[in-house]
Amino acid sequence: MAQTHQPDDPIATLEDVSVTYDDGTSFVLDNVSLHVERGEILGIVGESGSGKSMLASSLLDAIPDPGYLSGSITYQAEEKTIDVLELGQSELRSLRWEEISMVFQGAMSSFNPTMQIRDHFIETIEAHNGGVQAGMDRARQLLSDLYLDPDRVLESYPHELSGGMQQRALIALSLVLDPELLVMDEPTAALDLLMQQSILLLLRELQEKYQLTMIFITHDLALVGALADRLAVMYAFDIVELAPKQQLLSNPSHPYTRALLNSTPNLQAPLAEMRPIEGQSPAPINVPSGCSYNPRCPLATEECRTTDPAMDSPAPEHSVACFYWEKAQWEIELNYATDQPGGDHS
Amino acid sequence: MSEEPPLLELDSVTVAFENRPGLFEFGDESEQVRAVDDVSLTIETNDVVSLVGESGCGKTTLGKTAIGLQRPTSGTVRYRGEDIWAIRDGSAETTQSWEDVRSSLQIIHQDPGSSLNPNRRLLSILSEPLRQVRPALGASERRERIYSLLERVGMNPAPDFADRYPHQLSGGEQQRVALARALLMNPDVILADEAISALDVSLRVEMMDLMLELQAVFDTSFIFISHDLSNARYFTQHASGKIAVMYLGRIAEISSAEQLIHNPQHPYTSVLRWATPDLGGDVSTPEEIPMRTIDVPDPVDPPSGCRFHTRCPEAREHCTAVEPDPLPAGGADVRCFRVRDGSPYWNSPRLEEEESSSS
Ligand SMILES: Nc1ncnc2c1ncn2[C@@H]1O[C@H](COP(=O)(O)OP(=O)(O)OP(=O)(O)O)[C@@H](O)[C@H]1O
Ligand SMILES: Nc1ncnc2c1ncn2[C@@H]1O[C@H](COP(=O)(O)OP(=O)(O)OP(=O)(O)O)[C@@H](O)[C@H]1O
Ligand code: SF4
Ligand code: SF4
Ligand SMILES: [Mg+2]
Ligand SMILES: [Mg+2]
Repeated sequence: MAQTHQPDDPIATLEDVSVTYDDGTSFVLDNVSLHVERGEILGIVGESGSGKSMLASSLLDAIPDPGYLSGSITYQAEEKTIDVLELGQSELRSLRWEEISMVFQGAMSSFNPTMQIRDHFIETIEAHNGGVQAGMDRARQLLSDLYLDPDRVLESYPHELSGGMQQRALIALSLVLDPELLVMDEPTAALDLLMQQSILLLLRELQEKYQLTMIFITHDLALVGALADRLAVMYAFDIVELAPKQQLLSNPSHPYTRALLNSTPNLQAPLAEMRPIEGQSPAPINVPSGCSYNPRCPLATEECRTTDPAMDSPAPEHSVACFYWEKAQWEIELNYATDQPGGDHS
Repeated sequence: MSEEPPLLELDSVTVAFENRPGLFEFGDESEQVRAVDDVSLTIETNDVVSLVGESGCGKTTLGKTAIGLQRPTSGTVRYRGEDIWAIRDGSAETTQSWEDVRSSLQIIHQDPGSSLNPNRRLLSILSEPLRQVRPALGASERRERIYSLLERVGMNPAPDFADRYPHQLSGGEQQRVALARALLMNPDVILADEAISALDVSLRVEMMDLMLELQAVFDTSFIFISHDLSNARYFTQHASGKIAVMYLGRIAEISSAEQLIHNPQHPYTSVLRWATPDLGGDVSTPEEIPMRTIDVPDPVDPPSGCRFHTRCPEAREHCTAVEPDPLPAGGADVRCFRVRDGSPYWNSPRLEEEESSSS
């Protein structure tokens, strides 16, 4: 799908990226195009199974076997443009961690259970020819920034830490080599909300201090809404809407985005208003023809069932893949106030 | 024996972990983390107890102790009136076997990825509990059941998913398989440890509804661990259960979902309630957090008196010296002096504001 506006200084660009399994019969990423602006925090949200982790793994050409990745992915390093899909194993390895660092989903399975946390740090630093002393100093600083006791955590084996402690240790590990682009896949899923808030604050600080670019993947819209500069919404293996955060929250234009926003829980809302989105998302092998959202969409017409909508642009920097986004804005009411986001609404 | 004993009963349970002395610490005094400290809790049939609280406060440890996966350092855990560790050790006359206990008390692990056997397809992973619980079921009937449950947890087409290995699933799909597996066991109690945390809101609500539905049919009880107060509220309120707020190994407040959300008694509960985001909010600055400091105290060396006093916005001198016992207050049990009018707390001076200690 075509991007509708030109980026200023992209650090990473994806063009028509697809991932297929089963000899090309199941698409788990379907022609995604996206640029990531240097220094931005890009939030990616979407339902379970919509392709978020696949998108993240694509950036590092790290699709689980036997997936097939096609399209083009370029990474803009300081001096040169890197074609990620052309890199050999060792070049990929140095791109990984030093330039692009990734916090994979499921912290608890990312650690080697037989190694102390300290050895994970040392191994990573040494594998990239870093100074161990300086690296470990940085590690300690990062750990305490993440509200962990460095002495205790470094001494521990993974199972001796709680779920949330492991997750934070993993974030520290991903930052230890000072990468340019940090991709985090559900980095706070196991964390309580206070800790999430503190970590968001810290990420914001780090981002400003080191001009980090961040991609933050989560199913939690409220969470990423607080952090991101831009938001991308995925549905059925593709991005269906992309806009600056404020624009997306106050003028969501894809019927799915509007349903998603309406289903986001809120302590103020009465219990009965917490409702799932009707219907189920499609599996990779039977994505409906036309617009993939049409079986669940209240606005779907015959056209939607036959033709895949191209990206349209309701506002500058705002793109949406829907024929009837104007109608969606009018007809699908939001259950939260858009005029004063952040305010208390009852 | 006139009355049925409760399904599960924890009596003054403490779980302490020894820490190896660090490289830089000399001497042989090893440090202890009391992950759970003197907790008593009762879980009835067809009950829900939700555990909420900050990372590392002891939720997983308490949950595992309740279902016999973690041995308490002191205190007793009783299942249908019998000490489960006595059952395990055969150290007392018991009517139940350890196998009964094990299959009656199930867990959905916090990290589903590592709890599913990587070398087996979903069909085989899910067949195992069915074979145990319903040995009479034929292979094709088993398959049908598994397919229909996979469909219920939103994994369509079921035959396609049933044929996959765990690593061929997304994070949320793994979590749903772990949930399905626990439900197939048809146990008395399921410890659901962040069992829906990797799911989007829409699916979360569906999965909670599924659990509630099974509870209504099979009288299953749940210990529901969630870092998210809105989920804990949804699940607990629908089941008329209780929410327990944990802080540094203790239960700070336990009450009905309704009361906990709308009329929190413990200052820490109010903080958690505050931290639950509303849509469109911005990242808060530390100054806005209604606590004196955001730093969680070291569990190796918890604060004297009330454990929350280092952060509590209402703390007074009295709180630093004396620890409040759980006090009944309008249907809740609350570890805070403020629920008692006559407490010496009220005549004690407020604590000085601490220097903002952000590093
Ligand atoms: N190794 C694999 N082989 C085949 N299909 C796969 C494989 N890994 C993942 N999938 C499928 O690809 C789709 C996208 O998966 P992905 O992990 O990107 O989802 P996600 O958006 O990250 O979901 P979640 O929020 O649950 O983590 C899912 O339908 C999943 O079942
Ligand atoms: N096997 C162990 N050995 C040593 N310490 C442990 C062990 N298991 C847990 N702990 C410690 O006990 C404390 C409580 O851990 P627990 O896993 O119960 O927390 P939790 O409330 O579940 O946190 P989270 O929300 O982060 O999962 C932590 O300080 C943890 O490091
Ligand atoms: S294109 Fe049609 S089916 Fe798709 S989201 Fe828009 S209105 Fe709905
Ligand atoms: S006892 Fe004191 S410190 Fe503890 S919660 Fe109550 S007011 Fe706060
Ligand atoms: Mg994922
Ligand atoms: Mg835990």
